[in-house]
Amino acid sequence: MDKPALDLGADFPSLLRRQGLLGPPAPVVSTRAEIVPTESTTILAFKFADGVLVAGDRRATSGNTVVYDRADKVLEIDRRSIMAIAGVPATAWEMARVLEHSFQFFRRTQLQEMSVDGKVRALSKLLRDNFGFALQGIGVVVPIFATFDAKVSPSARLYFYDAMGAQFEATDFAATGSGSPAVRGILYFENTWGEKPLQKISEDDAVVVALRALDTAAEADTATGGIDRHAKIFPVMKIVGAEGIRTLPEEKIAELFHKRVE
Amino acid sequence: MIEEPYRWVEAIATRRDYIEMQLATGSPVVAVGYVDGILLFTVGQQKLFEIYDRIALGAIGHPGDIERLRMAAIELASTEGFTRSAADVSLRRLAYYSLSPVMKNAFEQIYGAPFLARLLFVEIGATPADDLFLEVDYDGAIHLRSTNEGNRPFAVLAATKKSAEQMIEFLRKQFRVGKNLAETLDLALDSWLIGQLKADDAVPADDELRRQRSERLGNGTISAAVLERHANMAVRYRAVGASELAPLIAK
Repeated sequence: MDKPALDLGADFPSLLRRQGLLGPPAPVVSTRAEIVPTESTTILAFKFADGVLVAGDRRATSGNTVVYDRADKVLEIDRRSIMAIAGVPATAWEMARVLEHSFQFFRRTQLQEMSVDGKVRALSKLLRDNFGFALQGIGVVVPIFATFDAKVSPSARLYFYDAMGAQFEATDFAATGSGSPAVRGILYFENTWGEKPLQKISEDDAVVVALRALDTAAEADTATGGIDRHAKIFPVMKIVGAEGIRTLPEEKIAELFHKRVE
Repeated sequence: MIEEPYRWVEAIATRRDYIEMQLATGSPVVAVGYVDGILLFTVGQQKLFEIYDRIALGAIGHPGDIERLRMAAIELASTEGFTRSAADVSLRRLAYYSLSPVMKNAFEQIYGAPFLARLLFVEIGATPADDLFLEVDYDGAIHLRSTNEGNRPFAVLAATKKSAEQMIEFLRKQFRVGKNLAETLDLALDSWLIGQLKADDAVPADDELRRQRSERLGNGTISAAVLERHANMAVRYRAVGASELAPLIAK
């Protein structure tokens, strides 16, 4: 219980470090690793009429090998925040875990919810600490962070990051990972020349746009799973809105896929 | 002089009197099970806290000491939940292995300051029979209240032993399984009012108690929190909103 006088005690990662449960930030060295890390690819998020839709394909790869075809890259951090990851899952899932516990630890100790800016910054700090691994090519993580804050306008907030921890707020959409150039093209097109801008479309339309975008990304990028028609594996989609987070049931995605995408 | 055993015992007894006197003005805390979970209730300054996904705390004592113990409990629960899993965080372990020895130690080190705090932890389980009501006193003593298979799921923290007994007696008579939150808030408030009676006051009849509610409550602000059994989130703690408390005072 001994703590420096001015320590507010709310920083969970440093508590873990003090107890030797979380490694120190990776040192920056120039040697490149020989191992080929597992990576996961192509996530996207955009604002629509009821909030933010976050979607990710299910494939995890290591070099040319498909390691896993049911990876979940869209992770719930708290009641109103979603983190989606492209990059090395080992690092990303650990980051998500630290982040989830950090937000709760802050709320419990400080008796107030961490601000959206504080949450966005917390992820940025974790990426920055990981930069040494990113430079070595074994721990690159490029996340998207989506949250909803009813008290401010606009309520839906969407951020994307680079591997060094720079955060960028997106006004309409964001996509990262190896399939993202195609996805960005589609989202830009839909937003600019589609029937309606993305922020005005309904939930069903949003799901269709996301499915089409991921299918297009998978067409040219081997690392993106897209939609597996044989095994019936569909992308994971979550919506964060005024009511909190909702995971779209696979049946609903499948139905829209068969009706309007296939 | 403290080296002599008799002096030490005397010093401890004096310290006990001193702490009891300090705690004597504390506002009681009531914990009662209801159909969807457990309610924690008190009036006055903020002293109901979320500790972890399924654990909450109510306390009487000095805010500084409550704060230190609360922080220690949150740190322990959070590191355990992070390194293992939320299912491994247990109130029993938290109290028996961590808090109780520390509080006992502080109490008996007569050159150091003891914790001026009395803590009531509640933990919600999968069924009412798994719920736990656990009190840790300033000297590290633990009173584990069995919920008796969910039939008597309540516990109180009060300034004196007599008030605690009166509150428990009242709850024993009035508690019924399956009450909703609004009814349980009523019950908790009445029990709190009984805990506020002066030492020689007689316990008023139920209808009299209700009539005198607003005058006995004074300017106190009600605060209440629940641990919900079947919330679809991992975090079961929720502060009870002002709209849910409003009918209590209106009656």
